[in-house]
Amino acid sequence: MRDFDYIAPKTVEETIKVLSEYKDDAKIIAGGQSLLNILKQDLMAPEILVDIKNLSELDYITYDDKDGMKIGATTTHHAVETSPLVLEHYPILAEMEHTLAFPQTRNWGTIGGNLCIQDPTGDVAPILIALKATVKIVGPNGERTLPMEDFSVDYYETVLEEDEILAEIQIPAVAPKTGIAYSKFRIVEGDAPIVGAAVAFTLNEDGTCADARIATNGTAPIPLRIPDAEAVFKGKKITDALIEEAVEIAGEAMECIPDIVASDEYKKRVAKVYVKRMAKKALSQIQ
Amino acid sequence: MKKILNFTLNGDPYEVAVKPKTTLIELIRDEIGLTGPKVGCNAGACGACTVLVDGKAVDSCSVLALQVEGHHVETVEGLADGEKLHPLQEAFLDDGGYQCGFCTPGMLMAAKSLLNENPDPSIHEIRHGLSGNLCRCTGYVRIIDSIHDAAQRMKKEGGES
Amino acid sequence: MSEFSVIGKPIRRIDGVEKVTGAAQYTTDIKLPGMLVGKMLRSPHPHAKILNIDTHAAEKLPGVKAVITGPRDTLGVKYSNWRRYPHLMDETALAMDRVRYIGEPVAAVAAIDNDVAEEALSLIEVEYEILPAVFDPLEAMKDGAPKIHEGPTVRNNVSEARHFEFGNVDEAFKTCDYVREDTFYLHSVVHAFIEPYNSVARYEGDGHLTLWTTTQTPYYIQTLLAMALGLKEGNIRIIKPHVGGGFGGKMELFSDQVVASILSMKTGKPVKVELTREECFEGGRRRHPMYYTLKTGYMKDGRIIAKEAKLYTDGGAYNAMGPTSLYLSGFFQMFPYNIPNYRYDGFHVYTNKIPATAMRGFGGPQAEFTCDSQIDMIAEHLGMDPAEIRLKNRMEPGHVIPGLAKVESCGIKECIERAMESTGWKEKKGKLPKGRGIGMGCYGFMSGGVFNWINSPYAYSGAMVRVNVDGTVNVYIGSAEIGQGSDTVAAQIVAEKLGVPMSDINVIRGDTHTCPPDLGAWGSRQTLMVGNALIMACDQVLEKLYKTAAALMGPNVVYDYAAKDGRIFIKERPERGLDFVEVVKAAIRADEGNQIIGRGYYTPHDKGMVSPAYSFGAQVAEVEVDEETGKVTLLQVTTAHDCGQVINELGVEGQLEGAFVMGQGYTLSENLVTDQGKILNPSFVDYKLMRAPDVPENFTSLMVETYEPEGPFGAKEAGEGLTNPNAGCIANAIYDAIGVRITDMPITPEKILKALDEKKKKRQKDKRNE
Ligand SMILES: Cc1cc2nc3c(=O)[nH]c(=O)nc-3n(C[C@H](O)[C@H](O)[C@H](O)COP(=O)(O)OP(=O)(O)OC[C@H]3O[C@@H](n4cnc5c(N)ncnc54)[C@H](O)[C@@H]3O)c2cc1C
Repeated sequence: MRDFDYIAPKTVEETIKVLSEYKDDAKIIAGGQSLLNILKQDLMAPEILVDIKNLSELDYITYDDKDGMKIGATTTHHAVETSPLVLEHYPILAEMEHTLAFPQTRNWGTIGGNLCIQDPTGDVAPILIALKATVKIVGPNGERTLPMEDFSVDYYETVLEEDEILAEIQIPAVAPKTGIAYSKFRIVEGDAPIVGAAVAFTLNEDGTCADARIATNGTAPIPLRIPDAEAVFKGKKITDALIEEAVEIAGEAMECIPDIVASDEYKKRVAKVYVKRMAKKALSQIQ
Repeated sequence: MKKILNFTLNGDPYEVAVKPKTTLIELIRDEIGLTGPKVGCNAGACGACTVLVDGKAVDSCSVLALQVEGHHVETVEGLADGEKLHPLQEAFLDDGGYQCGFCTPGMLMAAKSLLNENPDPSIHEIRHGLSGNLCRCTGYVRIIDSIHDAAQRMKKEGGES
Repeated sequence: MSEFSVIGKPIRRIDGVEKVTGAAQYTTDIKLPGMLVGKMLRSPHPHAKILNIDTHAAEKLPGVKAVITGPRDTLGVKYSNWRRYPHLMDETALAMDRVRYIGEPVAAVAAIDNDVAEEALSLIEVEYEILPAVFDPLEAMKDGAPKIHEGPTVRNNVSEARHFEFGNVDEAFKTCDYVREDTFYLHSVVHAFIEPYNSVARYEGDGHLTLWTTTQTPYYIQTLLAMALGLKEGNIRIIKPHVGGGFGGKMELFSDQVVASILSMKTGKPVKVELTREECFEGGRRRHPMYYTLKTGYMKDGRIIAKEAKLYTDGGAYNAMGPTSLYLSGFFQMFPYNIPNYRYDGFHVYTNKIPATAMRGFGGPQAEFTCDSQIDMIAEHLGMDPAEIRLKNRMEPGHVIPGLAKVESCGIKECIERAMESTGWKEKKGKLPKGRGIGMGCYGFMSGGVFNWINSPYAYSGAMVRVNVDGTVNVYIGSAEIGQGSDTVAAQIVAEKLGVPMSDINVIRGDTHTCPPDLGAWGSRQTLMVGNALIMACDQVLEKLYKTAAALMGPNVVYDYAAKDGRIFIKERPERGLDFVEVVKAAIRADEGNQIIGRGYYTPHDKGMVSPAYSFGAQVAEVEVDEETGKVTLLQVTTAHDCGQVINELGVEGQLEGAFVMGQGYTLSENLVTDQGKILNPSFVDYKLMRAPDVPENFTSLMVETYEPEGPFGAKEAGEGLTNPNAGCIANAIYDAIGVRITDMPITPEKILKALDEKKKKRQKDKRNE
């Protein structure tokens, strides 16, 4: 690892100031779970690390019925996993966090860091997309808010400018008669996912589909929301046949990348199985 | 340029000067000289370097030393109370929870973290609580049993006192 | 057996407290005053000539204390464990004029810290002329393939061919009702011990050197290092602190050991060379990939009459322990069955990849995967129960393999029967719901190899036992505790023999200056060989003590005495005896203060070509296969293992479980992937080891106790043999679950889906044709 300077700003404002000053010579470190591995391999050589890990201003989980949940970017995975508010209002989020990486990674790594590293297999983004989350970004010119699915740009690349930080994740309250499911495929437990799928359905009083969300990981350079597959359900009663139809459409949208673990065809096939399973599971969760 | 860092290690306050790029494991092993936590992969994948920060397990190879400013760090060296071994240590001894011993300091600290949070874990919870720690010798079975046994011992001890 | 005091009893290991408190010291924990950091520069090419190495810039870098290269700073001696067969010695510490795999060490530096050392490496300029490379053994054997070594005995890159044969195979095939031939492919995996390779060398001056290192074979390191450095063996002191796992990957002399030594000799300072995890992959060792063909002839009633095995192994760039893996794979192919006619041909082929070597099972895992898979195919063809066909063809105690082995104790029958009974085999086999299945694998393994590649004039194991005046006992052994619990077993054997408590035994080991020579930890040899040496040493001690007791007590002759529970007494009249310490004191006084020392050794006599004794076992696994993803989950695993007399039950169980989980990874997830010789997954993030949530929740170890006349107290091997049946056992269970057979390892979910697709296609085609 190359040498670098280090600063731990006390506030968000100060953080932005430092970033604006150093521009691309600076790199943010949150939990460092991903970043340190990159630095150790000398894949990057920042002049200064800007440490936001201990920035208490960004470490919070709040909820109210009107605005839903707000999670500060430096909240650890572990805090999300065990938060009574999360467990009460978005149990699927806690369930996902419980299987993300290892206890050690979750205890120190942050939810913001997970989104910012933009690993295409990341567990967090698909669920946030299914939950219709938005992200708040802070920069020298103030704040901007984006839907989660617009945050990622490419492999390991997000919309963040070099002087911006991800500050907050906002999740609206879940509509009544909504079911959400997420699961991922991996060969070894505790390992990063090969592919995964999140599905959310909201039903009308008459049992037809008011809203559907489908998002997958490991199936494209970015977390993939698949509106064409979602559209299959709108206004209709969800049946196995419709699910099959949506799964095929979802498959069309995927551009899996082969690697040493699995071929692209295999990944796509399994991702489709997971879309199907999660659709059925989400549906079964609606009372 | 070195920076000053204040933290506690196994209950003792430390003030040290470290280079920013020093990781917590390098601080503990190379600068302070404790050798319990081990380096197995230096990538956050094997857990041999597991220590507790404020009671929670972290991979000390994947934490910058400067980030523990103001925090409490515990290593395996802080587990026993003087001569009196921690119930986890007793259980590892009685139930064969180690072989070569290289992963053991990290295993014990991962287990301690788990029990701090969940004093009465099921076997399933123990298995998942150890997902970040590789052991190539035991096949994990004895380790899982040891931790389960330790939880029972601690319950008993807690009940008696 | 209840007459024992410590043998077979649940007792804590003697290295326990230091290991659970973090006090146990490994090589990596050693820090000496003034110690320098050594690092190696590795080849980026799979095959290239070295035209020039320019070290000037590196030498000038402040903080650099030495830079060494093969031609300039080493003797260039080719070494390996094959001292007895010099034509197989093909490796040097640093490349001399050519590199043969990506990761081969080319130069090294010693510097004041890691950063400086790394920078220095980046300043070394190596000029290469790239040569054509070859990565597959079948390609490498073709005429015109790149020549990896020039030696006079190497033909078409085959460095060693093995052949053995008995009976009349060709005639026997003609008499068989059926003959079938199947081919298999086995992939490569790595040892993945958690402690990386590392060494600390301190040159003491005047030809004396101390090396602390993580090794399974301190004595090999001592002799080979002497060879590589041109020093006297006896002036080199190898200290083996605690070792963080080996599994066959630490039984040879490695570059880090030689390089640390040379750098220390050059600088006069202690030097530590520590490999990163990535280097352990790229500059380490691995298990052999093999192309395996089995031709087997059998009768309608299930009797196997003849077998022919042929294999080509991808040995990598150097022999390492490959020739023995090759030999043993052909040998264990027969186990645990009675094959009356057998022919084996194996070829060890060089490729431009990291060398493959011994790894837990030593050729056995590959052999048993093919053997167990094929036996199930035969059973299916005949409509027989796979357990029944195994019982029918099993070895019996006293089995002789002509010219190769004599098997004394053999509990395979009991193992199969107990595994069946414990798992409800009869109720489950072929009857589980779709997607679930049960399978069996069987094995036999050596308890110590009768191999002396190193050409040591010393015994295979040596031991020394000294009784102190207060009755405590010092035990000196040269064997290598690497986590398997052998030091504890040694202490138990001495405690039992002398009748003293475990707490009074001090085991002194892992230091070639103070301990007797020993061939080290490989081939599951330590319990049997060191155990026998210790028994001999204890008997010498006891003879002296019994004489003293006899003199003190009266007329009984020496052999009428026994030692137990801190007393020495007349065997037939246990109430008549003396306190152990009292006899010890008297014995020392009576001999003018001369210490009581017993010395023992073990060298196998007349035990065939492989081992003095064989362990056996049967394993049953129950799996669930997700037919939409191909993922295999292990629900339940039962192993019945015959290790003779159990000395330490907790130890045996731990070994069995560990061996199984290693085999589970071998079968389902681990795979060292290379492309043009470059390892694509050199990290624990990308190389997939099994983790705690993956191991079967239901794991049963059954001990089948036999008595092995050659073993100490009747004991045999435990822990290596069980690595062998896992892959076949799991493959057979998968077949039972979903009717597809994977013969190409590892068994990935993707291969399972592909096979299911093919099966479906075939079924549809068959239907159309009807
Ligand atoms: C062994 C291992 C296993 C893993 N397994 C999984 C898994 O199963 N599933 C999964 O989803 N992930 C997995 N990960 C990734 C892990 O979840 C993330 O690495 C972690 O959550 C990142 O958080 P961090 O705080 O450590 O980020 P850091 O490593 O500190 O930062 C990551 C990147 O984000 C930037 N960054 C961080 N925070 C902000 C911010 N607020 N604003 C702007 N930029 C920021 C940093 O500059 C850096 O580029 C794994 C990682 C490891 C090392």
